[in-house]
Amino acid sequence: MDATAPAKPMPINRFLPYWAVFQSDVKQALRSWIYRVWVLASFSAAIGYLLYRYGAKNIGGLVSGAPEIMGDLLQWVAWGSVTLVIVLTAGTICSERGTMADSVLSRGISRYQYFLGKWTARLALVLCTFILLAIVGLFGSVLLLHSETLSLTGSLVAVATVAALLAMVITCGVAVSAMSNNTVVSIAIVWMVLYCAGFVLSLLPENYPSPDRALHALPNVLKGQYDWQLVSRLIAGSLALSLFVALAGMIGFSRRDV
Amino acid sequence: MAENSSELVVETYKLTKIYQNRQIALNDVTLKIEPGCVLGLLGPNGAGKTTLLRLILGLHRFTAGWAKVFGKKMTPNAAYLRCRIGYIPTNPQFPRGMTPISYLDYMARLFGLPAQVRKPRLASLIRAVDLLNVSGDPIDAFSNGMTARLAVATSLINEPDLLIWDEPTHGLDPEARRSMLELIKTLAREKTLIVSSHNLSDIDEVCNHAAVLSRGHLIYFGSLQDLKGRMRKNHYELDLEGDQKAITKAMQTIKGLSDFRSVNLRQRRLELRMAEDANNASALANVFMTLADNRITLVSIRSVGQQTEQAFLDLVEKEESRGFARAYQAPEAA
Repeated sequence: MDATAPAKPMPINRFLPYWAVFQSDVKQALRSWIYRVWVLASFSAAIGYLLYRYGAKNIGGLVSGAPEIMGDLLQWVAWGSVTLVIVLTAGTICSERGTMADSVLSRGISRYQYFLGKWTARLALVLCTFILLAIVGLFGSVLLLHSETLSLTGSLVAVATVAALLAMVITCGVAVSAMSNNTVVSIAIVWMVLYCAGFVLSLLPENYPSPDRALHALPNVLKGQYDWQLVSRLIAGSLALSLFVALAGMIGFSRRDV
Repeated sequence: MAENSSELVVETYKLTKIYQNRQIALNDVTLKIEPGCVLGLLGPNGAGKTTLLRLILGLHRFTAGWAKVFGKKMTPNAAYLRCRIGYIPTNPQFPRGMTPISYLDYMARLFGLPAQVRKPRLASLIRAVDLLNVSGDPIDAFSNGMTARLAVATSLINEPDLLIWDEPTHGLDPEARRSMLELIKTLAREKTLIVSSHNLSDIDEVCNHAAVLSRGHLIYFGSLQDLKGRMRKNHYELDLEGDQKAITKAMQTIKGLSDFRSVNLRQRRLELRMAEDANNASALANVFMTLADNRITLVSIRSVGQQTEQAFLDLVEKEESRGFARAYQAPEAA
């Protein structure tokens, strides 16, 4: 190549940098101990609780309805997972700040693509894992428990509700991570923001969607007894807020030094 | 220097970087780099060399001024400009669990190179940097030399027009350092390079232009020849062979010459320091005549002291000594 000669046209796939970051981040997250602990703990808790209820039904004669048990399980997964999901997502970008980010961001990738790659990777991984765990739990409860009252549509809505709330948590984690220089600070900020927001929303009147109320209503939702307007407002609100937070994180990240 | 900015590879204008209103890392840096230039970036620790490189790469945002690469303004999102740049950071870090093949493949995908382009290219580069035998091994266990070679391969994966190498010889053994310098010389025939280094002899050997930074301020930008030309070449060492008495006698004769400020003999090494106003060609001619008259063989002659180093130190010292006068910049200098 001659320095003075015009540059040769190089075939470039513009989508490839995003996809490379996405794949790399999924692999990285899959290898992390936080993800493994989360999956193991959630799976063990789900199986253990189902078996306990199954034993209580068969030996003690305590009839346990699948919607109530699954409602409890989804609630626990949501509450119990929040801490680990925050830890898993709040270090997504800031932990790579400095030399590691140098070797990626100094290549042919824009900040937008990098952020989108990281965000969607964590979103896809955590949500897919949660949905898989929820399917296993639902299948187990149908097999082991009194499942006549369990509604398929209600189950889908319940899983979608928790998934929407988790999406919000993941997005906040990645967005704060993009704006912060330190993982510990990032985790603390996400914790405070989410719990404060959750607390404030729980103080609002009943007709306002709140994560706390939505989780408590899960047994009824699993039976198919839900107010579609309220649920859809909660899901749409969570997704809209997620998009807004992601957009703010992406713009903020593109204006920061790495 | 090229007048037309579209011909320039890198152009900065009053580039300034202040970190969080606490630290002035770079101040008012204006420079123009033409195609084919091999620029050595010099400066003491904390002078702002890495900051300047990171601003040119768009890793940092400038507080004031601008930087253009290939005629276009560099920003953090100007990925299309970085597609034409190959970068080696000071201490290249590699993700854990990756092998040279998977790492180069990842880097090539970050440039958007499709498989039919990147696979043959990464294979050629792994062969070229002599990592073929370890191409399937995890990078974590690599030595400094091996990671440096991998970093070189990474910086060339996109066939860049501009190479930015931040201290490429840092931490390398003499053999690896020599290979790196030879590689820079080879690449310099085809590409534009910016090489930052603490090692002035490296810069001296491979660069044709120099930029000297001191406390974030550009105190010299021009050809290396001009920088070295600022220093008088007035200190020589001659290794001699012959009768010791004859050498001593010759030394006495040379001492009598008015061109020399000091003449010292240490065994068979003659050290000459010339007077400020002496013509070094005629003074050295007289020395050679004296040696020939005394039947002394001249084994070697060399100019003592790193000229680039001396010039660099001189520049930094001058800049420091200007004191408050630095606050005023003459219009022609600006």
